[in-house]
Amino acid sequence: MDIERSLSVDTNSTCEFLDAEGDSEINDSETNFYQEADHDQEAEIQNHSIISELRDGLETQNATALSPEPGQSKQLAASAESLALSTSTSAKTEDSNSALDEEHDYLHDSVWRGQKKHIFILSEAGKPIFSLHGKEDKLATLFGVIQALVSFVQHSQDAITSIHAGGIKIAFMHRGSLILVAASRSNMSVQQLQLQLGDVYNQILSILTYSEMNKNFEKRKNLDLRRLLSGSERLFYNLLANDGCSTKVSNNVFTFLTNSIRVFPLPTTVRSQITSAIQSNCSKIKNLVFAVLIANNKLISLVRLKAYSIHPADLRLIFNLVECSESFKSSENWSPICLPRFDKNGFLHAYVSYLADDCQACLLLLSVDRDGFFELKDAKVKITEKLKRNHCLEAVNEELKQPFNVKLYQQVVGIPEMRHFLYKPKSTAQLLCPMLRHPYKSLAELDRLEAIYCDLLHRIHNSVRPLKLIYEVKESEVVLAWATGTYELYAVFEPVVDKATVIKYVDKLIKWIEKEYDVYFIRNHATF
Amino acid sequence: MASRKKSLLKVIILGDSSVGKTSLMNQYVNKRFSNQYKATIGADFCTKEVVVNDRVVTMQIWDTAGQERFQSLGVAFYRGADCCVLVYDVTAPNSFKNLDSWRDEFLIQASPRDPEHFPFVVLGNKVDLDNRQVSTRRAQQWCQSKNDIPYYETSAKEGINVELAFQTIAKNALEQEAEADVVNDFPDQIILNSQNNRPGNPDNCQC
Repeated sequence: MDIERSLSVDTNSTCEFLDAEGDSEINDSETNFYQEADHDQEAEIQNHSIISELRDGLETQNATALSPEPGQSKQLAASAESLALSTSTSAKTEDSNSALDEEHDYLHDSVWRGQKKHIFILSEAGKPIFSLHGKEDKLATLFGVIQALVSFVQHSQDAITSIHAGGIKIAFMHRGSLILVAASRSNMSVQQLQLQLGDVYNQILSILTYSEMNKNFEKRKNLDLRRLLSGSERLFYNLLANDGCSTKVSNNVFTFLTNSIRVFPLPTTVRSQITSAIQSNCSKIKNLVFAVLIANNKLISLVRLKAYSIHPADLRLIFNLVECSESFKSSENWSPICLPRFDKNGFLHAYVSYLADDCQACLLLLSVDRDGFFELKDAKVKITEKLKRNHCLEAVNEELKQPFNVKLYQQVVGIPEMRHFLYKPKSTAQLLCPMLRHPYKSLAELDRLEAIYCDLLHRIHNSVRPLKLIYEVKESEVVLAWATGTYELYAVFEPVVDKATVIKYVDKLIKWIEKEYDVYFIRNHATF
Repeated sequence: MASRKKSLLKVIILGDSSVGKTSLMNQYVNKRFSNQYKATIGADFCTKEVVVNDRVVTMQIWDTAGQERFQSLGVAFYRGADCCVLVYDVTAPNSFKNLDSWRDEFLIQASPRDPEHFPFVVLGNKVDLDNRQVSTRRAQQWCQSKNDIPYYETSAKEGINVELAFQTIAKNALEQEAEADVVNDFPDQIILNSQNNRPGNPDNCQC
């Protein structure tokens, strides 16, 4: 049984606990993971219950064992409350100067500690693999502590899910031989953090496959997985840069939060011409499983082998690969890629090429045949020729030239009081959202918008008590969430609008989306 | 993720309580020694960078609790260690006798791939004290009988042999690591309609 534990664990300064007097009350500054002092009373109460549980457990042990030297027992009890862990300060390199040391001592670095989100990947043995901020091998001590926490709870046939400490949520995910951890001060729920960790885990499988990773870990539990992942770091940074915590202002974060992808808007006729060009040139190719055409992080067309479909999580890996591989733009590519939701144990072989120098749409032909390069290359050339002839490339370029979709923009402009929305049909994992505009153009405001959506999504998708409709007047905006049998809508309005107006606008928006549905969504993906 | 040249070694220190495990680590990492005894609860962690054969190696040192009642971290704790340091107190014969069970316990719990050749190092600590009870000869004999485990006599207090011992630990663990090859062959080709990717797979929800 998984439990959601509510603990106060200060992994950075447990040494202080060692020196604390045997006092069950741990004061605020120590309780908070990053010295933040805003935890609510509920958390306080939970903290106490767990701490006393731990203490009770230890007291029974104390009773059966000899007491340590007099005068030490108090200290021991106090430190035992810190989950039987203590960390020493990180290493000092002998031959490097002290200024350099301080630079690397992340655990005492206020910038590092103040990051909005941390992501850590480690092996079950506690060996560091990745840290979003800071060099992972300088954080070996912290990774040791994480492993010990996981191991400690595992020891009692249980699994640690999360730690809530002050304003910080720490989500754990233990998959196979890997431990993934997200520590966040954002509004994301533990489930949402785990969604993101799921994407990170899939990214690892995408590079290695599950079977190869496991084979290596079975052979050597002390494997340093960095050796197998070296050169792929950019994929992780890019994947994790896709949220408000990074310096990039984009809508990408909303796709993993809603487990969806975005579709490139195109007139119906253009899209079906593109699809049929792919179909007619690929239908005879044996072992071809998927053909995917994307532009600007959005899906133009997907053609699949009959009976197979592609999971949005797998598509996001493809988007991520293309987005952070500038080299694809200069030359065609043949690269193995594992799509874990399709088959986590094997590689698909992807022929990747932009359609033409003057068209930034990227085509991926994914085959199970490792010798299929030339056949797929031929198909791509023919597809491009066909799309040139029937002016589809022009149509794609036309759309790409606009920094945002004109029609969508006009629609949003037509409702000036509506600032932003997310629309996701129930029948498909595709998301429609307008370009971010004032006031959400700045990072700080995007953070706030992300927090609003996180909260709405969490309440609508709450497994215990899901909601269907939320209408809330907040300080700076009016927010609405509405889950019907056919779609989910999340919208943010100016703070001045009243309820009747919101209803009117939502009605208008829904009618418009229904009318334009095929421009913004793909109902069914064609087959070869 | 770092370049190929960087290495990280997980080093576990085991031994009876109060033989000086934490002191050895402190002497090695912080060049400090304290006469005060503080039991380790669960585990303590330290990292130190060393240079071995021109390679930068990060040692992730896991100092464990010697007192049984504080050993609450479970089996998973020893998993994936690159080297195990067994410490005894030269003035406490029992701590020497217990080396056998610490070694066995480690091999059972960590279950390394090649237990016969797993890199151990034995440290006889507290050689600065006068009341020595375990002779060098006796300790060396034991180490020889266990596949020639390297043996050092140390004093965490005086800093005797500590640096040398840990350098050996890093070197031996690194050699072991270098020997092991990484399987990097391509997995088998995907067979369509096999169990792994059966179209009916509930994972394959439509995008």
